[in-house]
Amino acid sequence: MIKKLQEEVKKLLAEKKVNMVIGYARAGDAINAIPYFIANPEECGALIWDKTCIYNLTNYLIDMRNKKVGIIVKGCDVRSVVCLIQENQIKKENVIVIGLQCAGVFDKKGAELGAVGRERAAKCKSCNVHTPPLFDILIEDKEMNQKVLQQEDSYKEIREIENKSPEERFDYWKKELSKCIKCYACRQVCPLCYCPVCVADQTMPQWFSRSLSLEGNFAWNTVRAFHLAGRCIDCGECERVCPMGIPLRKINKKLEKEVKELFGHESGVDAEKKPLFSTFSKDDPEEFIK
Amino acid sequence: MNENFEPKIIGFLCNWCSYAGADLAGSSRISYPSNVRVIRVPCSGRVNPLFVLRCLIKGADGVLVSGCHINDCHYSEGNYHARRRFAVLKQLLDYLGIDSRRFQMSWVSAAEGDKWAKVVSGMVEEIKKAGPNKQFK
Amino acid sequence: MKIINKSEFLGLMEKWISSPGLIAPVNVAQTFRSADKEKNLIVFKKIETKDEVLADYLNTVKPVKDFFLPPSTVFDYERKDEGYNFNLSEVDGKETIIFGLRPCDAKSITLLDKVFSEDSEYKDSNYAKKREKTVLVGLACTSPDIACFCTSMGISPFSIAGLDALIINFKDSYVINTVTDKGKNLLGSLGKEAGREIDEEIKTLEESVKLKIKKTCNTSKNLESSFESEEYWTKVSNSCLSCGVCTFLCPSCYCFDLSDESAKRIRCWNGCVFLRFALMSSGENPRATKKLRYRHRVFHKFKYFREKFGENLCVGCGRCIRHCPVKIDIAEVVNNA
Repeated sequence: MIKKLQEEVKKLLAEKKVNMVIGYARAGDAINAIPYFIANPEECGALIWDKTCIYNLTNYLIDMRNKKVGIIVKGCDVRSVVCLIQENQIKKENVIVIGLQCAGVFDKKGAELGAVGRERAAKCKSCNVHTPPLFDILIEDKEMNQKVLQQEDSYKEIREIENKSPEERFDYWKKELSKCIKCYACRQVCPLCYCPVCVADQTMPQWFSRSLSLEGNFAWNTVRAFHLAGRCIDCGECERVCPMGIPLRKINKKLEKEVKELFGHESGVDAEKKPLFSTFSKDDPEEFIK
Repeated sequence: MNENFEPKIIGFLCNWCSYAGADLAGSSRISYPSNVRVIRVPCSGRVNPLFVLRCLIKGADGVLVSGCHINDCHYSEGNYHARRRFAVLKQLLDYLGIDSRRFQMSWVSAAEGDKWAKVVSGMVEEIKKAGPNKQFK
Repeated sequence: MKIINKSEFLGLMEKWISSPGLIAPVNVAQTFRSADKEKNLIVFKKIETKDEVLADYLNTVKPVKDFFLPPSTVFDYERKDEGYNFNLSEVDGKETIIFGLRPCDAKSITLLDKVFSEDSEYKDSNYAKKREKTVLVGLACTSPDIACFCTSMGISPFSIAGLDALIINFKDSYVINTVTDKGKNLLGSLGKEAGREIDEEIKTLEESVKLKIKKTCNTSKNLESSFESEEYWTKVSNSCLSCGVCTFLCPSCYCFDLSDESAKRIRCWNGCVFLRFALMSSGENPRATKKLRYRHRVFHKFKYFREKFGENLCVGCGRCIRHCPVKIDIAEVVNNA
């Protein structure tokens, strides 16, 4: 797979179809992957593709929206490209999507570098986009095509929390969100958090307290979840980068489940469709309205 | 339960229907609890769900968003958008354990002074049962 | 140095839990019942029972600066005719013992002292009071990992800088090295004299641990010469997300932001890697690009701070490397500049 990938990227750059390709390379520690920005065909030899390539590289597309860029994506990542196109943040003509068939990647286990016995990322266990839904060039994985890939129920943990009593739920989230240090890494790594001035940074007026308190932490995480409703594609990056291990996917996936059940909306599958909140249906549910 | 607890409810009322409806309730001398602090907005679609969140986090005992009936929005579609947004917000608040009884939404037209009084009375009663909002103290 | 057997020392620590109060590293991952999340989430916590205290870990996620420079401090103020009256609502004048900090974290406190305490023109009385009331009992590091590089930053895994006492895990015992009067008052009467043989064995142990640290950082590099190199700084900061994890987890980063919210002034952590850090009220932002911000971060730590205060603003703990979402390695950036 890696040879084909390197060849395709080399071709793209040599034929000047793109100014730059964003992919993965090996980090200096020889264990992890890092994002790699290639401008010359000769640099393609450093490209890698294996189970350490967990990053969602589409985050970098926003800053390069005026350039022609090639991007190497897995099935989960490419859905954010679709969302960005839906929201008119990037033009499809400027992006060449090199899709990789993927059977799953590793998540870090513990914060120590070099830890052995890496585990498959939680998001991979319920993946149904092993082949990217959108691509210009597809790099196939012959081995993967022969395997039967299991798909777990992705909402199991959400249901567990839904089944708790309201007091238990509040206690649970109070505890988890008390860990938050408001570093905003979750926002920075999310490809769909691209507001030039985030609501959390606005000072005139100031929406929510900047203090690390129950109020401040709850407000931040709730706002972010709400702003991603119907947009989050569950790449899992926010949870991966959170230094305090807050289970952010459990909030975002809840809303993913709700918008599917309430409105039949799935984010990042069809670039022609409109975003969730910019449309409406005459049949939207309104049992909660008096 | 403190018998003297008077809930503080923030109401976002759309100018063309709900605000007029509330006004009609007043002109008609209908008696109903005075716990709602009314904020007039042009349309229920103007109400940013973050307003509701901020109210609840800052300690409001309840938040009520009220707009025109479906198909009757003065701006054609505002209430459709509001309906979608607040459906999602209600689910999110409930999931995080923020007491979702404290957020309610209603359609009240300019002729429904009666209904307005009923909506407010019902909500005040429910919030009185739920008690003061101490979740974020 | 004195030596004491472990169970005796742990018995004493148990006493500290009630008086005066003990803060030590605890693995809180289990209390959050997150099955597929981090199996380790090691943070400093006020200890309730002696079973919580960890003896074997690399380092905490959040550094010890958390206690002296909290992530957010609230100052109530009231306005009087003559001006404003500030009440530091977070002054915690209680005595406490912090146990288990690594020498890198302890060294970072000496760096923060230069800014917030001592002869600094911006002495923070709240910080100074906490420092006075806290006894820092460190735990020497015996298994560094590949991100550590304290040996390049003027300290070692057995350093005593910033500590009141250092405990070294030695076979079945703890060797106690009391450094300051505070340390002597707390631990001076414990254990028995270790003797020259053990002292020598400790020295050998220290050397062997130092050898385990492979990463180096060439701090004598002349960074000035690379200042103008747009290409280099663009290359190293290309993948940076400006996420702030490095500054928030760094034991020596101290920049903060002040924010006024309804009669409260809040001081909270801030980082030069954030986009809006250098934004001025005119709208001008002198560090609007990632490469400028990252270059500034490196220069502040390895050049400007040293020029002003005599030491680099980095202790080689490696947290920024371990937790960076895109694995940017600040030591390599300095080495290759």
